[in-house]
Amino acid sequence: MSISNIRGDAHSAGPSLTTGKWLNKLERKRQTGPLFGTAHAHELGMSTRAVHAGTNDDPRTGAVGTPIYQTSTFVLNDDQYDSVEGGYARDRFIYTRYGNPSQWAVQEKLAALEGAESAIVFSSGMAAITATVLAMVDKGAHVVAASDLYGGTYNLFNQEFPTLGMSATLVDSYDLEAIEAAIQPNTQLLYFEVITNPVLKVVDIPRLADMAERHNIRLVVDSTFAPPPVMRPLEHGVDLVIHSASKYLNGHSDLIAGVTAGPRKLIDQIWPRLLNYGGSLDPHACFLLERGLKTLPIRMRAHEASATALAEFLESHPNVERVLYPMLPSHPDHALAKKLMDMGTGNVTFFVKGGDEAALRLLDHLKLPKQATSLGGVESLISLPFNSSQATMTSRQRAEIGIDPGCVRLSVGIEDADDLIADFGQALEHIAPMKEAKYA
Amino acid sequence: MRNNIPTAALSEFVNEVAENPEEGMMSYGIEIDWESGTRSCTQTKPMLVGPHKVSRSFSWKVDEPRQLMGNNHGPNPQELLLSGLGSCMMVAFIAGATAEGIQLESVKIDFDGELDLRGFMGLNTNSTVGFPKINYKIHAAGDATPEQFEELHRKAVAHSPNAQSFINPVELNGEMISVQVSD
Ligand SMILES: Cc1ncc(COP(=O)(O)O)c(C=O)c1O
Repeated sequence: MSISNIRGDAHSAGPSLTTGKWLNKLERKRQTGPLFGTAHAHELGMSTRAVHAGTNDDPRTGAVGTPIYQTSTFVLNDDQYDSVEGGYARDRFIYTRYGNPSQWAVQEKLAALEGAESAIVFSSGMAAITATVLAMVDKGAHVVAASDLYGGTYNLFNQEFPTLGMSATLVDSYDLEAIEAAIQPNTQLLYFEVITNPVLKVVDIPRLADMAERHNIRLVVDSTFAPPPVMRPLEHGVDLVIHSASKYLNGHSDLIAGVTAGPRKLIDQIWPRLLNYGGSLDPHACFLLERGLKTLPIRMRAHEASATALAEFLESHPNVERVLYPMLPSHPDHALAKKLMDMGTGNVTFFVKGGDEAALRLLDHLKLPKQATSLGGVESLISLPFNSSQATMTSRQRAEIGIDPGCVRLSVGIEDADDLIADFGQALEHIAPMKEAKYA
Repeated sequence: MRNNIPTAALSEFVNEVAENPEEGMMSYGIEIDWESGTRSCTQTKPMLVGPHKVSRSFSWKVDEPRQLMGNNHGPNPQELLLSGLGSCMMVAFIAGATAEGIQLESVKIDFDGELDLRGFMGLNTNSTVGFPKINYKIHAAGDATPEQFEELHRKAVAHSPNAQSFINPVELNGEMISVQVSD
């Protein structure tokens, strides 16, 4: 068959079937990808990869950039039928839930950025998390995970797992001894977030990777708060890295998507779950995500610059109790952050004097940041854990995970630092309780 | 997917193990608890596929028929022995067929074995304690010639770990850990 008849990864051939021979004569080996064009170069710089990896110009017209392959299905030839029969349909275009060139372009780009052999995009971060976790566990399995996980992931372990006959033990992600002690004979997975929300704990990923290896179990991390320019968890020994691409990866607060990246072997085990659970990413959303990814490194530099300046300003402000920003020396995990993170992000958490009442007043007086959950967009987003992400907890439960009164969760966008500082400066003047008395 | 086996993944795994033998090391375990009379309960322990742990939450009861002083609450040890032998040969047969591109429609293996309990009872005879022989028939339908099926049968037995454990001597290392209880 000539290459031009292959609709998919031209480097992928079927397993050689050998009449009269045994399994040892099977020739197909695992390779990276699937790749639509030629392999991306992992040694290129982060920005070069962000722009070029996976992106394929239209071969027929020369149009620059990946076309939007807005289709649900593909015309089939013998090679595609063979791929279904031979079990390598992930390397061919068959049907968009199985794979689509628009998805492959983003997947290649993300794999290149994470330094992974393979990646799959999903219709949300939660679709990536559920498909990945459920691909890594078996009947009766147990998982050890962080006690302050993102709420949706917490619900997977707390609500769905018991229904499926599986269990999870949730442990403080700082407490490596407790994590190790929670490992049971049927534990198959350690699941952690590399930077937690909202107190921005930096988790000791290399030590968790070492622990997972010693116990013959897998380590899967959610790196939503640390996109590839900041941290590449696979380099620190994790088995799989997941992102809600709705945040920094896309960066424009205009779509919901997720991704899992890692060794081809494991991603190929997740792919059948994508087919069965159905959370595939629409080609048009892929186009937006691919476009967003091209500016990821440059956006991260802007997030970091404005967040650092604003965090320093907040830290010096008399109406601010405390600021948590891992790249500032005042953060409890600063040393580990310097070791694991190549740069800072836009996430700043701080505590205003005067508690949640004062925090509410702050939000009312801010003009630039949008009052919204989520993070990682070009526009600054601000919210209060007590009435949003951690609203179902009691104040005591919140205090246990470091959410003291007056806690403000801020995702600094790429706006100019001076404008943000001026806005926070004027708003902070309004929060002092004594000013309130004037109007009482 | 032929015979519902992902052939590409099978091929990739074979080649992975060829390069990295550690990935092909399987480690298994079960625990058997005596329940009552001749009845016991078996529980699978977590297994290792290469260096990767797999949770195995399976258990089953084993018993003898009433005629042999049991309550007939489950298959007996001989049936399970034949089941372990036959289902391993089945895996080898299906994997081998798939690697050759043989599409199977149905496969059934029919086992019969006879043993003389005088050996178990210690009655003075020349009979062996275990099965002196085991007979089976494989009934298969698929797109292979009778000669191909015969060859596949030969190779399935030659590569089946359980069949080979039957045919060849296996070192059985036991240890007795006892507690004397007095009341
Ligand atoms: C750390 C983290 N993981 C996962 C998710 C879920 O992602 P999505 O909203 O894309 O499903 C979120 C979203 O808020 C998140 O913050």
